[in-house]
Amino acid sequence: MPDVDVLVVGAGPAGAVAAWEAKGAAPELDVVLLERDRAVGSPVRCAEGVGDAGLREFANPDGADWVSRRIKDVIFQAPDDTEVVLANSGVGWILDRTRFDAYLAAEAARSGAAVLVGTEATGMSRNGDGRWHVQVTERGRETTYRARIVIGADGVETMVGRWAGLDTRVPSRDMESCAQYVLQGIDFNPDAIYLQFSTAIAPGGYAWIFPKAVGVANVGLGIVALKTDGRNARQYLDDWIARRFPAGARTGYTVGGVIVHTTIKKAYGDGVLIAGDAAHMVNPLSGGGINNAMKAGRLAGRTAAAAIREGDTSERRLSQYHDAWMELIGDDHLKYYRIKQALEHMDDEFLNALARTVNKIPAEKRSLGRIFTQALIKHPQLIPMAARFFV
Amino acid sequence: MRRVTPDTIAVVDLAVCDRCGLCLPLCPPEAIHLALNILTVDRDECTGCEKCVAPCPVGALSMAPLTPDARLLAPTHA
Repeated sequence: MPDVDVLVVGAGPAGAVAAWEAKGAAPELDVVLLERDRAVGSPVRCAEGVGDAGLREFANPDGADWVSRRIKDVIFQAPDDTEVVLANSGVGWILDRTRFDAYLAAEAARSGAAVLVGTEATGMSRNGDGRWHVQVTERGRETTYRARIVIGADGVETMVGRWAGLDTRVPSRDMESCAQYVLQGIDFNPDAIYLQFSTAIAPGGYAWIFPKAVGVANVGLGIVALKTDGRNARQYLDDWIARRFPAGARTGYTVGGVIVHTTIKKAYGDGVLIAGDAAHMVNPLSGGGINNAMKAGRLAGRTAAAAIREGDTSERRLSQYHDAWMELIGDDHLKYYRIKQALEHMDDEFLNALARTVNKIPAEKRSLGRIFTQALIKHPQLIPMAARFFV
Repeated sequence: MRRVTPDTIAVVDLAVCDRCGLCLPLCPPEAIHLALNILTVDRDECTGCEKCVAPCPVGALSMAPLTPDARLLAPTHA
């Protein structure tokens, strides 16, 4: 029975960073990073967009082979296709997740963590010895790992959280059902991301175009099933693309869920920490989760290392991870969640009017703050939302 | 957990299912499992609430009649 100090389940951004941070903080520890799929980073279940500042805390994108495209502008589109351009509104990147996740996992390996692909945790229990006994399957061969701390970085479908008795369930209204194609041979500004808000196109979410190269983009949308007319996410996407990009070649396809909720009540237990999508750490307004996952992974890895060194892996000790996360980002998500709820009440007619109001502001003066102020003056029905946000 | 509908349960069409795992956290009794690339619905735990059906991005989940035979023949995951 392999005996390890830290067993990380899931080699996405949260897990890889957790593994390297744990090993970096306490090099004497045995750290193992498990990936269920045969290749780290595949299949991609992501629109691959990430903000610049958060990314740079972990990896340098300049000239990196895991970057697809640098982004300079954000273009919001109203339901009637009116465009509101936020030029130079903040730099971001479209990643190549197959390469990015592999890069992060390689960094974890370089730090001294063992990375195992095609290796799936299938269950775990806590025995009298104060360790987690984790059943692991690799090509049909079963092994039980004994671990002082298990870090569950196993995504939306987290089983680690469930096995540890933590509540990782989510209400239907806070689940975005997403579908996305990689489209080739389409015409758009390759230096901008496009976000289109419309209850007809993507009820409860938005549709996006994230450039991977000139003429190539991740084109997808997220919807909340409770608000739909009965079509599923893929059907909404097919209908949108038929109108927007009828000639685009579909060279890739993915679906998945994005949890737009707030952090789970308890992302820790005796000898266990949950990080990233598994702990609902996605920004509930944008749906972005990569940087948050890495930040949570860093906190989880460091907390695990310190706790093992102190000889105290109790729930009480590990609760410091949860507190640190809430202070860093989790509390902000409560605010974003309230804004998301307010936005849900805007219909397409209102969004079209709002876009025209904002376009009267000269482009060079079009900051998010000024847009917000103008929007409040011209559309006083927004004031309750502003009050909820700022009060 | 009390049954929501006494006579139907969720079933997954594995030919359509993409194994994205979106339905797992939506299930109140945690009756849906994803292991070794197979999605399964535990027929003893499913309450028939249908919360997993509409959100599936590809329409792989639907409701089916719960027959005594189905219960006996279905694999369960304790």
